Amino acid sequence: MVTNGLTLLSLDWRTLRMNKLPGAYLDHDLFDLGALPRASNDYLGFLFSVREKFGLDDVAYAGMNPINGSIFGHVTYGDAWKTHYVQMGLHRIDPTLLKARRSIAPVDWSRLERDDDFRKVFNDASDFGISDQGLTIPVRGPFGDVGGLSVTSSLSRPEWNKLKANVIVGLQSVAVHMHDMVIRSDSLSNLLKTPNLSQREVEVLQWISAGKAQQDIADILTISYRTVEVHLRSARHKLYALTTAQAVGRAIAMGLIYPG
Amino acid sequence: MIIVIDALNKHKYPKLLDEMFKLRARVFGDRLGWEVNIVDGRERDQFDDLDPAYVIGLDDLGNVVACVRALQTTGPHMLSDVFSAILDGEPPIRSATIWESTRFCVDTKRLARGQGRNTVSYATCELMLGSLEYAQASGITDIITVIDPMMDRVLKRSNNAPYDYVGKVADMGKVPALAALLDCTDERITRLRNFAGIYHDVFIAEDEIAAAESYESFGTVNGAARVSADLEKYCDDQISESATEKEKHAALRLKAALADRIRSRSDMRA
Repeated sequence: MVTNGLTLLSLDWRTLRMNKLPGAYLDHDLFDLGALPRASNDYLGFLFSVREKFGLDDVAYAGMNPINGSIFGHVTYGDAWKTHYVQMGLHRIDPTLLKARRSIAPVDWSRLERDDDFRKVFNDASDFGISDQGLTIPVRGPFGDVGGLSVTSSLSRPEWNKLKANVIVGLQSVAVHMHDMVIRSDSLSNLLKTPNLSQREVEVLQWISAGKAQQDIADILTISYRTVEVHLRSARHKLYALTTAQAVGRAIAMGLIYPG
Repeated sequence: MIIVIDALNKHKYPKLLDEMFKLRARVFGDRLGWEVNIVDGRERDQFDDLDPAYVIGLDDLGNVVACVRALQTTGPHMLSDVFSAILDGEPPIRSATIWESTRFCVDTKRLARGQGRNTVSYATCELMLGSLEYAQASGITDIITVIDPMMDRVLKRSNNAPYDYVGKVADMGKVPALAALLDCTDERITRLRNFAGIYHDVFIAEDEIAAAESYESFGTVNGAARVSADLEKYCDDQISESATEKEKHAALRLKAALADRIRSRSDMRA
């Protein structure tokens, strides 16, 4: 799924009647990271082209590793701010990362509470000439991976609101594109290859591995036969397995369940 | 009146969320007979733990009378998981600009029949408007919504028919469910507004909603908020009933002059 993320994305657009919609896809003048050979993925170049195209001050992407909580990013900010940000450990308190990512909608920073963390980050930021007027677009991936694309602007508030309305659809696509490309890069995707199985899915697979039939599992878990089927189907999907036997094999190989 | 509650502001509205989970239990468990998990009279599932956004409709007394839940289709969501039967083995739609909406419901017991405020029809249209406008302001172009055939008929009747369906009709407990597609366009929003006769901003200011959270209801305890709602309705009626441009202009000016007493705007939009 991760390696196919981009293919799926473009297929979706074809199956839906998107031809009348404005700015819904990546425009041609933004280059497609997926089309580049993996070794030369130029994340920063991509972000600069986004900044240029949408008329923004700065563009930053941050992805979060759900397993150890580490944050990695690509930003158009100057080196001085980058160094300061990392040295001060601001990523551990930055509400534009930590709070905004829990929204499903883009979060205008005016919505974030002006608490100690916010002031700490943005008092420092203003010393580096960075605006506290901005927007974070949260991204969620299928494996519990999360990311966010943040943009800043020093336009007047009314002009900023106007710009936002014009670019928000495009920025949504850019954010997910960037996220998928970073996640599919080697270092992180190795960690993310462990599928995000629910407790029930693991239980169902475990009982199958122990030789139980679906109706038996339904009785054991006091759920319907159909619900067992639903969990099983989902587990197969998450394990990229075509058959239940294949799913059980993979789950054992990954240490998600014990051999029966 | 519509409020959007998500992970960023939910700590402010525990009572509204609790009422919403109770409404969902009554609708999906009791009335529709879906196979849902109800504990202590509240219906919750694992997707409620994934920081979804809830679009919630309140009546004029501040009661939760309608709600729907939204998730991004790029991450875990119902159609990629427990509703996969609807997709009949096909991979779920995954797109940066499509949200999934689930658990759309309206309190048919508390609300009256017929037309006008505090009716089932009004609350349904208002919630759909709130959902479409919230999505649109977030850069979302389409909503894929999991609904039952009755809600499908309601959508069609409200001049808000889905433009397409995905997958097949699948059994979810006693009743079937299906996945429908709605575009978040100005055209659809206008059609719906014209059908419902709703021309004001449906979102409520967060400070006003704090009243609904703190007190039993606007009507019995916080008279000022009730007056504010009535005042707003009066202004909106004046605007919608104005016969000439001049009348309309005057009505709009009146509403603007009373803006700080009405406070009907929301800062929920991105």
